[in-house]
Order: sequence, then structure tokens, then C-alpha cells
Amino acid sequence: MIKLINLTKLYGKLTAVNGINLEVSRGEVFGFLGPNGAGKTTTIKMMAGLLQPTSGSVLIGGHDVQEEPLKAKFITGFIPDRPFLYEKLTAREFMHFIAKLYDMDDGKNRISELLDLFGLNEWADELAENFSHGMKQRLVMASALLHKPQVLVVDEPMVGLDPRGARLVKDIFRDLASHGVTVFMSTHTLEIVETMCTRVAIINKGEIIAEGSVEHLGRMARMPNSHLEQIFLRLTGGDEGVQNL
Amino acid sequence: MRATVLLLLSPRYHAIKNRLYRLAPGDGLKTVVLTLLGFGFWAFLFGVSFKVLTYFRTIEGLGDLLALRLLSMILLTFFSILVFSNIVTSLSTFYLSGELDVLLSSPVKIENIYRAKFIETIVDSSWMTLIYGLPVFIAYGMVFKASPEYYLGLVLTIFPFLIIPAGIGIIVTMLLVDAFPARRTKDILVLLGLLFFVVLYILFRMLQPEKLVNPDTFPTLVQYLTAMRAPVSPLLPSYWATETLAPLLRTVKGDSLFYLLMLWSTAAASIVIGEWVCGMIYYTGWSRSQEGKKSSISRSRTADAFFRLLSLPFRGKMRAIVLKDVKLFFRDTSQWSQLFLLFGLMVVYIYSFKLLPLERAALPSFYLQNLLSFLNLGMVGFVTSAVAVRFVFPAVSLEGASFWIIRAAPISIQDFLWGKFWSSLLPLLILAEVLIVLSNTLLKVTPFMMNLGIATVFMMTFGITSLGVGLGAVFPKFKHENVAQIPTGFGGIVYMLMSMLFICLVIVLEAWPVYRIFTAEAFGNHISLPGWAIIATSFIMVAIVNILALFLPMKIGLNRLKQREI
Repeated sequence: MIKLINLTKLYGKLTAVNGINLEVSRGEVFGFLGPNGAGKTTTIKMMAGLLQPTSGSVLIGGHDVQEEPLKAKFITGFIPDRPFLYEKLTAREFMHFIAKLYDMDDGKNRISELLDLFGLNEWADELAENFSHGMKQRLVMASALLHKPQVLVVDEPMVGLDPRGARLVKDIFRDLASHGVTVFMSTHTLEIVETMCTRVAIINKGEIIAEGSVEHLGRMARMPNSHLEQIFLRLTGGDEGVQNL
Repeated sequence: MRATVLLLLSPRYHAIKNRLYRLAPGDGLKTVVLTLLGFGFWAFLFGVSFKVLTYFRTIEGLGDLLALRLLSMILLTFFSILVFSNIVTSLSTFYLSGELDVLLSSPVKIENIYRAKFIETIVDSSWMTLIYGLPVFIAYGMVFKASPEYYLGLVLTIFPFLIIPAGIGIIVTMLLVDAFPARRTKDILVLLGLLFFVVLYILFRMLQPEKLVNPDTFPTLVQYLTAMRAPVSPLLPSYWATETLAPLLRTVKGDSLFYLLMLWSTAAASIVIGEWVCGMIYYTGWSRSQEGKKSSISRSRTADAFFRLLSLPFRGKMRAIVLKDVKLFFRDTSQWSQLFLLFGLMVVYIYSFKLLPLERAALPSFYLQNLLSFLNLGMVGFVTSAVAVRFVFPAVSLEGASFWIIRAAPISIQDFLWGKFWSSLLPLLILAEVLIVLSNTLLKVTPFMMNLGIATVFMMTFGITSLGVGLGAVFPKFKHENVAQIPTGFGGIVYMLMSMLFICLVIVLEAWPVYRIFTAEAFGNHISLPGWAIIATSFIMVAIVNILALFLPMKIGLNRLKQREI
């Protein structure tokens, strides 16, 4: 469902993403991990069509994001790490707007259903500028699911969510995956990855350094049966202890 | 397709509607005040235009020529401003707007994004020119007693006249961003823009357009008429607009229809070419504009040493705040590049004194020089206020979303606010004193007037700075997309009004004592003891007004900031 083929992105002399190759199948929940500045957001933005790769390609549902952008975007839902919202629009108005962008003529029922699912019903007619960060995050998630995407690309889904919100998001992602939706998720919340992701890739300094199930990564790091945090730190070279704060 | 363009514009419609339906307490009054001020300015423009044109029409033979020449100059000026305004605006609408992430990750055709953004750009960049140009054009119609065809022609001319600079501006922006990253382009455009306005203003001033109303400056009538008739380039849309409207104004035969068609066809071409260019290079340019800013000169060691030097007079936490403010100022191009504009304005201001025809005035020149010097106090005060509204009023607002750092830190709001005051005062003092000394030197005033000017401006600057910082704390705009937004709006207007009131009060209180002292010095009159008592009282009142202007706004601002919840 998702294919990254020799995907590269250069910013002047800086190589942000260096020849990444990945394949994610239908119905998978795929975790994309890496230290800060590793190239996660750059990769995700190229998948969403917000960045033009220097070379290589991204295929979503068989459609090249650069060659057939509209077809690729029609089947993709994108949730950025720092979502933009029109501050002077109400939640309902924002959802209507997004629905129209995806050619949904009658999204009223779907909008109500999603606002209810994400616990935003009583805020539906409030301006977005009055929302907390977590509420804005939930609104953006709801809008990304409006058009029933086949692929969901998510950058840091848990930032700003309270425990209830975090639990809700986990349940939704599981439910989507069980219905064949592919979820590609970048996150620092390793507990989510351990409990939900079928496979994981770790990116460091623009390159994929490990890919596979959590168990496979454990064997790669020679730390079988260890927690993902320790495996991650071992593989990315960040396992030296903090001394003398 | 049209539905999608309208859809893309719908958030703006909803935002305006929601703003109007959900006014916070006090917003209604602000809106009414701003609207009334706007109407007032509109009426003022209409009145001045009407008077000038009526005067022109009284000049036998040359009057109409003069009026149409003026129309041509106005349209050319508008066109130049519109092109530049559209370049700057389209950079924001096409490349820097936050909603582009939403639009470009959605299945929306680039052509539709272009069309929606085109409309947005025209509206954002042209509304002010349109609204404040209309009274001028209406004045033309009324003075020339034009037929209804003129007004119809005006409406039909305005649309393409706004579309063409928008099309040109957008194409230029896309080409610039294709060459430079968008954020670097923004810096370049800010600098170019300021240089453009400074050069334009200096050139305009040096051309001495007032000569056109004084035929004596031309040796022969033929030369004068030739100068009047010399056309602006016939390739410019402003020329076409003039040639469309001029025959309609005078109800004479002309080629209005031809030039109107030129305008409309060029407008259509600019849209089509722009869409083609957009399809070729917009997405690549936008993608590249996601790159972050590279380090610049303001982060060099020399720059750091310079910043530390500027903060030397301060100690402890105040020094930390001043150093932080200085660094942020010089690292934000939209801030420090305004210094060019400032310098240009200073040059023009001082140069204007050189051009004053004092020797041809009816009053004795030494009397006039010193009278002008006194009035100049007000002008310097006004210029200082105009500078302060851009640099001092935003001082508190510039903390922006990071104001919580100040509130959470062990620093009193008092120290914070006075830190802003002292760091703003010094540059303003230097500016104001340079202006008053240079202008008084050119006016060749008496030592008394020179000392009075220096002392008065010195005192007033404290009050102007305090008003700026204090009112900036009363009306902060922590959420702003760019610095230029901060002085616009209710708070900035209140500041300018209060500042003008303060300056007028000082001038009025000093007027009589200065007049008595000056005439006594000039004509050798004796001032009696009661006279000196009144003079002393006036100056004491001036001092009191200055002390109040120094402490009151800061106290009010301090109280408001303390109460503010984050």
C-alpha cells in the first residue's frame, strides 16, 4: 500500500533522507522511529506530498505522489505534528471545509459521527482558537478520517493528548487496521509502538538502520526480550547513561 | 472548478462572519471608532482633492492640463505601489501561509489553489489603495462635472487596473522564490521595498513637483506646455487608465474604448500567464521554501560583541532582557530593515529645510526661522512618535508566545517594563536630538531657540517612550503573524492620539513664554517681574506634563500587565 523507493531529500549540503526503501502492506500499523532530527518528519512530508523528493519516489496505493498527486491524496489521510487550524472557524465549519476538499457532497452525518467519536460534540460550534492543544489535535484527527482514507500518515499522534484521548486514538488505529486501513505512524511514544505496531523502522541520520518486528529488532540489538526503549537506544547509540546532572 | 475556488476562499468568509458575530466586550466600540476614523480620513482626502482640483480649474488654459497630468501621476504612483504590494503579499499568500499545508496535502488542483490565492492576494494588497483612491477619482468627477459615463468607465477601469499588478506581482514572486528560498526572498523583498520607497520619496522630493504649479520656473510658455503634455510611457497600464478616463472626464472624443480593451486584455493575459508559470514552478518553489533559515551575519562573533556593547549600561536581569531584545531586533530583517526607511525619512526631512524659500517670505527671515524652529519642535515630536509606534509600542508584544518565560521567571514585571523603557529611550533620544539640531542649524536659529529645542525634545522623548511602552503593555498583541501588524489596530491608534495630545500640550504651554522671551531678545523689550513669573509657571507646567507623561503610562501599563492572564 505504501512504497518508498530510494527516497532521498537534500537541503543544500545536508542529506536529510538518504535513499530510504520501505514497503508497508495493507492493514499494517507501521511504526517509524528515530531520534530528533533523524529525518522522520521530512519523510512523512514527502509521503503527504508537501515536499518534493530530491530523488526517488513515494507510491501510495500504487499512485506516485509526485506524478499522480490527486489520486494519491484522495486515498490518504494526513495528520501533521503541528497541525494548522483556521482559528476563526468553528470545529463544524472546519470539518465541512475539509469534507468539501475531498469532494464529499453530504458529509453531515459523517461529521457528526466523528465529532462524537472524538468527544468534540459539545465544542462543535466553538471557534478553534478556544481549543486546547489536545482538542485541536483531536479535531485534526477527526478531519483526516472524514473521507475514509485507505492510508493514514501520522506524525506524532500522541502529543498533547490526555490519557483518555491517547486511549481513544489507539483504539481507533486498531479498528482502522482491522478494516484494512494502513497506518504509517511516526512517534516517540514507544509504548504505543510496542503494543500496536506490526512492524517498525528506525531511521537515524537519514538512513534506515533497522526494520522489522519488535522481536526482530531486539535480536538485531542483541537484546532479546528487552523493552523497545533499550533496543532503540542501543541501535541509535544513545544508551550512555546521564551522569552528574 | 469554480466551486472549488469558492470553497478555498470560504474560510476567510467564515472567519469574518464569526469575528462579527462573536465580538468580545469592547470590540464593538473599537470597530466603531476605527470605522469613524476611516470615514474621517476618506472625507479629508476627498476634501483636499476637491480643493486642489477646483483651484487647478481656475487656472486659465492650463488648469485642465495640470489636472490630467496630476491624474496620470496619481495612477502611475498607484500602479507602482500596487505592483510592489502584490509582490510582497503574494509571498505570504502563496508561500508562507499556514493553511498551505492543509491545501497542498489535500486533493486540490494547483490551478484552483492559484486562482483562490490570486483573489486573496488582490484583496489583501489592493483594498487600501482602492478605498483611499476612490475619493480622489470621485473628486475628479465632481469638479469636472463629468457625465455618468465617467463613473461607469471608472468602475470598468478599476478592475483590470487592480488585476494587472496582481498578475505581475505574483509572477515576479514565483520567479524570485524559484531562485531563492521563500524566507530569504521575504528578507530580500523587505529590504528592496524599503529602499524602493526611500528612493522614490527622495526622487519625488528632489523633482520639486511644486514647480509645476509655478509657471515662473519655466523660461517660456512653450517649455511649460511641453512639460505638461509629455506622456508617461504608453506601454504602462497607468497610461491606458488615464487615456480611458480623461476623455470621459472632459466629455470629449477620445480612445477610451481602445484603452479600456487594452486594460482588460492585459488583465486576462496576466492571469493566464500567471497560471502557466504557477503550473511550471510553484510546487517546486513551495517545497524548497520548507527549508529552514541559514545562519546570517547577525550571528557572527563581531555582531555578538556589538550586541553585548549595547547592553553594557544595564545590569543583571535587565541586561539579560535588553541583550535578548537587541539580538532579536537585528536577527529579524523586517525589524532592522526599517532603519533604512528611518534614515531615508531623516534625510528627506532635513533636506526639506534646505528647500524652504525663506528669503521670499513676507515676514523677516530671522523671525520666520525661529517661528519655524518652534513649530519644528512639534514636527520632530511627531516624527519621533511615528518611529516609536513602530519600534517602541511593539516592545511588550514582541515577547509573543514566549511571554510565559518572563512571567514564570524571578523578575518583577516592573523591572521587565522599565528594561523595555530604557532600551527604547536611547535610540529615540539620538534620533530626536539629531533631527532638532540639524534642522535648527539649517534654519540658523538663535542660541536660545537651539537650546530650547534641544531641551524640549529631550524631555518629550521620555514621555513619548513611556507612552509607547506603557500603552504597548495595555494593548499587547502577543499573537501576531508579523511585527508590522502590532502598531495597526486600536492600541496603535490610541498611542498616536495620546502622543499627539502630549506633544501639542507641551508646544501650547511653551508657546507664550517662548514668544515673550524671543520678542524681548529680538526687539530689546523688557520683561517685567510678573511676566517672568508667568513664564516660569508655564515652564514648570511643561515639566509637570512631562513628568506625568513619563510615569503615568508606565504605571497603567504595569498594572494591566500584572493582571493579565496567560
